[in-house]
Amino acid sequence: METNTSQVPVTVLTGFLGAGKTTLLNRILTEQHGRRYAVIVNEFGEQGIDNDLVVDADEEVFEMNNGCICCTVRGDLIRILGGLMKRADQLDAIIVETTGLADPAPVAQTFFVDQDVADRTKLDAIVTVADAVHLSTQLGEHHEAEEQIAFADVVLLNKIDLVDKSKLAGVKDRIRKINPYTKIIETNRCAAPLEEILGLNAFSLDRVLEVEPDFLDSDHDHEHDDDVTSVSFVSDTPLDLEKFEKWFGNLLQTHGQNILRSKGILDFKNEKDRYVFQGVHMLMDASPMGPWPEKSIRNSRVVFIGRKLETMNLKEGFESCKSD
Amino acid sequence: MNNESVIKSRFEENGKVFETGAPVTGAVSIENAVAVGFGDGSIRFFWPDNDPLEVQAHSGAILSIASSNDGVITGGQDGRFLKISTNAEVEEIYNFGTRWVDNVAAYESMVLCSSGKNVYIWSDENDKPKILEHQSTIGGIAIDQNGRRIAVSCYGGVTLWRLEKNKWKSSKFAWKGSHGKVGFSPDGKYLVTTMQENELHAWRIRDKASFAMSGYPSKVKSFTWAGDNPYLVTAGAKEAICWPFDGKEGPKGRKPLCIASGGQQNATFVESLPGEKAIFAGFRNGMVLLSELSEHPNDVLIQNPTGSEVSNISISPDRSHILVGDSKGQILWSPLWEQ
Repeated sequence: METNTSQVPVTVLTGFLGAGKTTLLNRILTEQHGRRYAVIVNEFGEQGIDNDLVVDADEEVFEMNNGCICCTVRGDLIRILGGLMKRADQLDAIIVETTGLADPAPVAQTFFVDQDVADRTKLDAIVTVADAVHLSTQLGEHHEAEEQIAFADVVLLNKIDLVDKSKLAGVKDRIRKINPYTKIIETNRCAAPLEEILGLNAFSLDRVLEVEPDFLDSDHDHEHDDDVTSVSFVSDTPLDLEKFEKWFGNLLQTHGQNILRSKGILDFKNEKDRYVFQGVHMLMDASPMGPWPEKSIRNSRVVFIGRKLETMNLKEGFESCKSD
Repeated sequence: MNNESVIKSRFEENGKVFETGAPVTGAVSIENAVAVGFGDGSIRFFWPDNDPLEVQAHSGAILSIASSNDGVITGGQDGRFLKISTNAEVEEIYNFGTRWVDNVAAYESMVLCSSGKNVYIWSDENDKPKILEHQSTIGGIAIDQNGRRIAVSCYGGVTLWRLEKNKWKSSKFAWKGSHGKVGFSPDGKYLVTTMQENELHAWRIRDKASFAMSGYPSKVKSFTWAGDNPYLVTAGAKEAICWPFDGKEGPKGRKPLCIASGGQQNATFVESLPGEKAIFAGFRNGMVLLSELSEHPNDVLIQNPTGSEVSNISISPDRSHILVGDSKGQILWSPLWEQ
């Protein structure tokens, strides 16, 4: 996913039923923003739409025959994004609404797997609308809710006027525990400025450099096996490129299904460039991102978001990549 | 690319270039014209002797175009299924609202289209369409040479519909994966599809024996049939890859002909030259070559690189002219033979 000015940014909008996705969608479609958006929806209904283009789609998730066992993509997106690129008018952005129970992974993986999609569009960000009142319950009951938080670059925490301060703090803690990278925006009726939701470029590799996750300790003894959690590691000792490639490649191959997202900035011994990577399940995008800035501290930082992370010996694996 | 040092081909010297500004999404022959569909919803008819005629038909891109008895039929992103005559008369056959009309096809007076998971068929007798339902969104439709069979591709394979005693009966040709464009071989014995993966799939209809044609560096977006064998000519590689479909087993276990070489980029569109053992291949950088179906072909340059992917090549019905269209909307319309 190279940065290319002719690539149209695509924002993926997820969130549980009733969280406020439609409210946000209506705002995007009715607000005077002077931009031209295409919105890909599931059964939108009869709401009034001004300037923007609404495309009806059925969520069609299918497996790729590429030997990657967790590699599912959204077939309808490949078709519709391809179709939108045939238009003569230039779109400023495309917004994809997913149904409440959707797993965001196939949407994200579509941008890694399909060359035509990757050539002409780029995944901008995954935005998850969450209901401050019900999120805690939903997280316990539906794994899809956890996935939607785990994948989110932005969580729009909605309906905050309906909860007290301590409950709000509790919900935010819960979100952070799943996904330390996500930006939480507190709102009522999804009234956040659109520029904080669209055009974030969150999937571009250089953004990995900018966003500092809230580093957590990796103890999570009270969590249930199926919970989505995150762990992060820092090393001040430079890593060995060969050892890292071997460990990480093997890790994704063995545990890719349970690793929802991974990101990192790496300092390799005898390399003057910073290496940056980010992954969705087994698929990964990695690249050197220029030399380390002169005054910055050279170190390696990695974050994993997923299930059963405690079974993967991540700490030991990461430690073993340190150069001698 | 207005590079002075580029030597123009004879076709560029003798032809006309039109900058339409809208991507060329498809083209088809009708009467003595080539009708071209564009990404801004317009249709243009190109004639050997007259200036082109432009008709504004759809709002949003035209997704599919075919020729019927009395006009071209088009499906668009505006959800409309239209018939447009060469006199620029536009008739709406059906309006699907916010759902795209992805594919269209016609045989004599029968017209059909797909929108979502359904194929809609209009025959002479009645105004109400017959609906054929499928499991997932339809990737492509094709009608065989005598109008008795319809092939519909989607996720998981092809459904072949046969008209028996005025009823459409289906049989399934399964292969895992997402199938796009579909076509019958000229003798009606094989079905071929393009796939989401970088390969094609084919079935012998008689016994459903199936095989893959793979090894492509990119998605195969275009195929056609050429020569007497015939060959299945395919885009998706740096040359046009031509699979022999003669004999009992077709291309199984045989090597394809690789012709129209010289392009540094992958072919995006292929078309046959009717009546000749020759094909045209258009490439991702806009270059178009004419090549012979032989082991040691001579290549002829039709168009120099334009910088934009070739999205259509069509030959006029009288074989007098060639039309080349690209994804930025440039059209080359040129006499095919020395004057």
